[in-house]
Amino acid sequence: HLAEDTSDLLQHVKFQSSNFENIVTWDSSPESAPDTVYSVEYKKYGEREWLAKEGCQRITRKSCNLTVETGNLMELYYARVTAVGAGGRSATKMTDRFSSLHHTTIKPPNVTCIPKVRSIQMIVHPTSTPIHTGDGHQLTLEDIFHDLSYHLELQVNHTYLMHLGGKQREYEFIGLTPDTEFLGTIRIFVPTLLKESAPYVCQVKTLPDRTWT
Amino acid sequence: QEFQFGPCRVEGITLQELWDAFWAIKDIVQAKDNITSVRLLRKEILQNVSDAESCYLIHALLKFYLNTIFKNYHDKAADFRVRKSFSTLANNFVVLLSKLQPSQENKRFSGHDSARRRFLLFQRAFKQLDIEAAQTKALGEVDILLTWMEKFYHL
Repeated sequence: HLAEDTSDLLQHVKFQSSNFENIVTWDSSPESAPDTVYSVEYKKYGEREWLAKEGCQRITRKSCNLTVETGNLMELYYARVTAVGAGGRSATKMTDRFSSLHHTTIKPPNVTCIPKVRSIQMIVHPTSTPIHTGDGHQLTLEDIFHDLSYHLELQVNHTYLMHLGGKQREYEFIGLTPDTEFLGTIRIFVPTLLKESAPYVCQVKTLPDRTWT
Repeated sequence: QEFQFGPCRVEGITLQELWDAFWAIKDIVQAKDNITSVRLLRKEILQNVSDAESCYLIHALLKFYLNTIFKNYHDKAADFRVRKSFSTLANNFVVLLSKLQPSQENKRFSGHDSARRRFLLFQRAFKQLDIEAAQTKALGEVDILLTWMEKFYHL
């Protein structure tokens, strides 16, 4: 008796993680019936029992938020999805082993760019995450990644780029021409885990110089 | 850049190189490990390891990895087309092991015995599995080992 091919019901079951927001997503092939329902379970690597994720049982959407359930940075996790289609056909697939510390991507930082007459100040705001310590303290990216640093660039003209960087949050590009447009980009870097965020971009114009008017 | 496992100091090994080598083999090796209900390097083995224990423990683990896992996994690594990264990891472990000199004369002190108990927990779990499955699982858990080693690494 040949096992029925149900791969159309369920494909690409994986974790997607950004700033420790951990979402399990999956696909199905176009031929699969729209009334297919999905149920999600998860567990820590090394444990026997699969736990059903409340709120993701017999759903029709193709994603499930497991941020809370996979929030221990020192643990490794698995999730699995079971799809049940028309006529009771079903398929179950598991994610790869998931470590949020290693797999999460970093979103662009939140930055305030403040133009002055001959300088532009940039203040990077701490990025909070859904991760909490045992006593309920909410962690920022800086708390989690000890070697986190910021890289800032200011495009002065087609050929000249100014650079600043470090672990502090306040920076100032100085010696600029008044009343001129500049493009700033700011990235987060975590060298040991080879993580780099997409850039935050700000377009700012220095203030006019009114000293002699 | 150096490792400082209690009294044992090791220079010349770059942790990033170990990570890069492991990343290259991680997905394929972990995908071959379908025993998701068993973790060899369990928390009680690597949690709250004192400095005094750390040199003995890392020495025992690396020696086991080299003699029991890496030695027997070359062909598979070639089959999986990850031999280069696999060899990089193995060679770094060989150098690291050769530079680790856990003190022999004060073995009577607590560090050695409690490290030994931790290692035996790992070895016992390993022996409860089919040898090939156990080798694949242990190799797939090198990220757990490296994450622990990171605590003893100073830039």
